[in-house]
Amino acid sequence: MTVGGLDSLLEDCTKCGLCREVCIVERLGAHSITSFLLGEDNYSSWLCSSCWRCQEVCPQGVDIHAIMMEKRRGEEPPAGHRTNSARVLQSGYALTIGEEINEMRRHHDLEAVEFVPAEWIKALLRGQEEQEKGA
Amino acid sequence: MALFPGCLVLQRMPQYEKAGKRVLRELDISVASIAYAACCGAPLESFTDKWLYLAAYNLSLAERMGFPVLTLCGNCTSSLLRADVALRDPSLRLLVNDKLDQIGLHFQGGTRVTHLVQVLSEQLEGLRDKVKAELSLKVALTHPCQAFRPHEVLGFDDPLQPQAMRSIVELTGAEVVPYDAEYDCCGSTLYLVDEQLGLEAGQRKLSSATGADVLVDACGNCQLLLERFQGLMNEGRAESRMPVLTLPQLLGLAMGIDPAELGVGPVMAGKLLGSSP
Repeated sequence: MTVGGLDSLLEDCTKCGLCREVCIVERLGAHSITSFLLGEDNYSSWLCSSCWRCQEVCPQGVDIHAIMMEKRRGEEPPAGHRTNSARVLQSGYALTIGEEINEMRRHHDLEAVEFVPAEWIKALLRGQEEQEKGA
Repeated sequence: MALFPGCLVLQRMPQYEKAGKRVLRELDISVASIAYAACCGAPLESFTDKWLYLAAYNLSLAERMGFPVLTLCGNCTSSLLRADVALRDPSLRLLVNDKLDQIGLHFQGGTRVTHLVQVLSEQLEGLRDKVKAELSLKVALTHPCQAFRPHEVLGFDDPLQPQAMRSIVELTGAEVVPYDAEYDCCGSTLYLVDEQLGLEAGQRKLSSATGADVLVDACGNCQLLLERFQGLMNEGRAESRMPVLTLPQLLGLAMGIDPAELGVGPVMAGKLLGSSP
């Protein structure tokens, strides 16, 4: 997705450290992508609360989110993220879903969910690989 | 409006969805669920660009209905809108539409996506007229991060110290109490990576807000960590438990709506309204 990759994304960073100052992960004593931006090795690109404050305060307009996504695709994902993404690819939902949720919804006077048809998710998210595998 | 509750609210928080719909009905804003809506795409973004297919899929369903999208979580709001921006690229849009064609859908782009907080903040006059019971409560707010950031995409309110929820809650007569961690993220998404760190973030927030009678949020992720997982913090001490409500639940109580229609239990309602259930 990114044009020019990590190097070009990092080009405008002056290592001022404002991003790290506002990072909730850093305040809790752990190390996020903001530590990577400041040249440190002890961090995880997955340790993030998705609050987007780092990017909002960056005076240089560095796309920290894009940097984090680039780094994540090259780092081992934590189990929680791996499970969620596998579930989305399989079912189209991040959480396990079934008819029983409609019972719960009925109890709350909410209409039943019309589930996304499995073949649509297959066409949207898995079609290509399966076609390639078959080829 | 076309309601996109997102996985978490759709499947785990009917109370929030129910209260949101009920309060909007009071304001004569009609809300229809998006049939066949799926995940917004956010959980895929760290792995593959296919997250854009899913976001575009949901947006194309709303386009077909011809309504702007209403969201209840920060995360879904930002994902759908960021995807819409990314898909202004004609070659990406072509790629996405090639997929959508296979299931009879088409993505045009440009659908308005607004989080409930924004929708309500555009209805302050109407809200003022509907408030029937002045709430004598001290309320601490927690703001859904991604309903405001990145500001470049969301274009709404002050991105670092948003004021929309404050203006809404002040209409109920409740006193909005500032606290140190008010504008900090709840830490819910962090829980997915490191449970302990997520709980610590939530606890920081809750212990900073102890001057309040109730904490009010407007996001499935905040509600999950601060309300549902609160028992995992404070070593589960029940006496220090902070009541947590979603914004439409609090608003609905001030509008005199039956707590049951807002998914608020009678004990909690009695406590907040200062009367026996």
